[in-house]
Amino acid sequence: MSEQWADRLKYLWPPVLIALVFLGGWQALVVLRNIEPFVLPAPTLIGQEFLGDIGLMWQTAYYTGTTAFLGLVFGTIAGLAMALLAQRFIVVNNLVTPLAAGLAAVPIIALTPILNNMFSITSRTPRVLVTAIIVFFPMLVNITRGLIQVQPTQLELMRSMNAQPRTVLRVLRAPNAIPFFFTGMKVAAPLAVIAALVAEYFGGPQQGLGSRIAGSAANTAYGRAWAYVVAAIITGLIFYLIVVAVERWTTPWTGRSRSA
Amino acid sequence: MTTATTQHAVNASGVWKIFNEGQPNEVTALQDVDLTVDTGEFISLIGPSGCGKSTLLRVIADLTDATRGQMSVAGVTPHEAREKQLYGMAFQQAALFDWRTVRRNVELPLELQGWDSGKRKARALELLEMVQLADFAEHRPWELSGGMQQRVAIARSLAVDPPLLLMDEPFGALDEMTRERMQNELLRIRQDTGKSIVFVTHSIPEAVYLSDRVVVMSPRPGRITDIVDIPLGMDRDEDTREADAFYESVTAVREALRGHVGGSAQRAKIGEV
Repeated sequence: MSEQWADRLKYLWPPVLIALVFLGGWQALVVLRNIEPFVLPAPTLIGQEFLGDIGLMWQTAYYTGTTAFLGLVFGTIAGLAMALLAQRFIVVNNLVTPLAAGLAAVPIIALTPILNNMFSITSRTPRVLVTAIIVFFPMLVNITRGLIQVQPTQLELMRSMNAQPRTVLRVLRAPNAIPFFFTGMKVAAPLAVIAALVAEYFGGPQQGLGSRIAGSAANTAYGRAWAYVVAAIITGLIFYLIVVAVERWTTPWTGRSRSA
Repeated sequence: MTTATTQHAVNASGVWKIFNEGQPNEVTALQDVDLTVDTGEFISLIGPSGCGKSTLLRVIADLTDATRGQMSVAGVTPHEAREKQLYGMAFQQAALFDWRTVRRNVELPLELQGWDSGKRKARALELLEMVQLADFAEHRPWELSGGMQQRVAIARSLAVDPPLLLMDEPFGALDEMTRERMQNELLRIRQDTGKSIVFVTHSIPEAVYLSDRVVVMSPRPGRITDIVDIPLGMDRDEDTREADAFYESVTAVREALRGHVGGSAQRAKIGEV
């Protein structure tokens, strides 16, 4: 047990050290050069703002996090459904991939005001949709790859056992796609937080991270604005870590396979 | 279908396989192949790359269609044989599923046949016993060595107890020592089960050690050029590998191969000039 912890510490200390050096340098720069907070607030100021109003930070992050989570769920379901169609029908695959790539290239800045007009701006719906659209592409691409990129020998084996396409999907393609699903999730989950946050810049309810970062900055409360940024980073990180935890728990065979 | 053919594990007559027929990139993978494998017989297909030995195995397994000719497997068409699971197949790659335990990998063909889980488990454990991997039933495939993984694949190919085994270079990726152990094990399994076996290999000693007859094939176009009888009897062990009769058979197969391999290499050279 202690050996395991020593092992973990070995991997943990370099990033911690780098973070401490970075923050220390930042603090020193601000203090020694007498930099004004509206140019660059000191880490201690940001820390004060963050911890001083931790309850509000949590509420704000929770609001945006909920939007991100809903968008992540809907985007993933849509990506999964389309990937299942794409692996079955090559026509769908050829049609959907460029379409999805096009959709992924549409800037949030253009998309959000349109969706705000289409749906009630006071509701969460347009933001969830923006997030879902952003999530859709990495999920579609990764799941499709996982369903299609199967060892040729394993496919021949399935055929030699007289397996029908539906069985091949259930027994071979779907389990094969699970690690790819998590690769997509690791990209999509933090991305969902960013999308939900940016979508808040274009009006609507004001209790989210994006709204409050913009609002604080407009009121020259830069320390406060940065505190919300910290809350956003933590939210994205939590999303990512949840995905990693679920991956470890559900797919013990990845990571160690092949290389072991 | 006559009763004569039903006694054969495999019966091919005038089988052709032509890829991209009628196009500039046409390749004749199999030309006019006649081959009969008796029930209980061990046949090896040997020859250089591109001689069509794997293609012939794939036609038998109904993984690809013959362009022309007649093929029967255990008295029925290859398609019916595949539907009825009259053969089991093993490949050069073990092709195990990482997300299943060793036991559940062996159970896979039974699962597809709709066996209930209790019977499946009992049968899988029995087979793992046979390939001496009972202790590893609940391990994951990637925890096993290459030779052990291949033994799991063989156990899996035997799961539905098919009368015929088709093996496509199953020991090709293993080191020499493991390979010889696996050959002994395969001979033992054959003795125990009485299966008919069609075995594709690159290795002359391997073909001789295992087979009743070695089918020598040659490329461009892929065809059978010789069939060498191996008079080593049924009881073979490590001593067989040192026996004069073994070396004589190795020489016979090598000469059969050399005659044709040399000839085709000659032709290829002329073709290049």
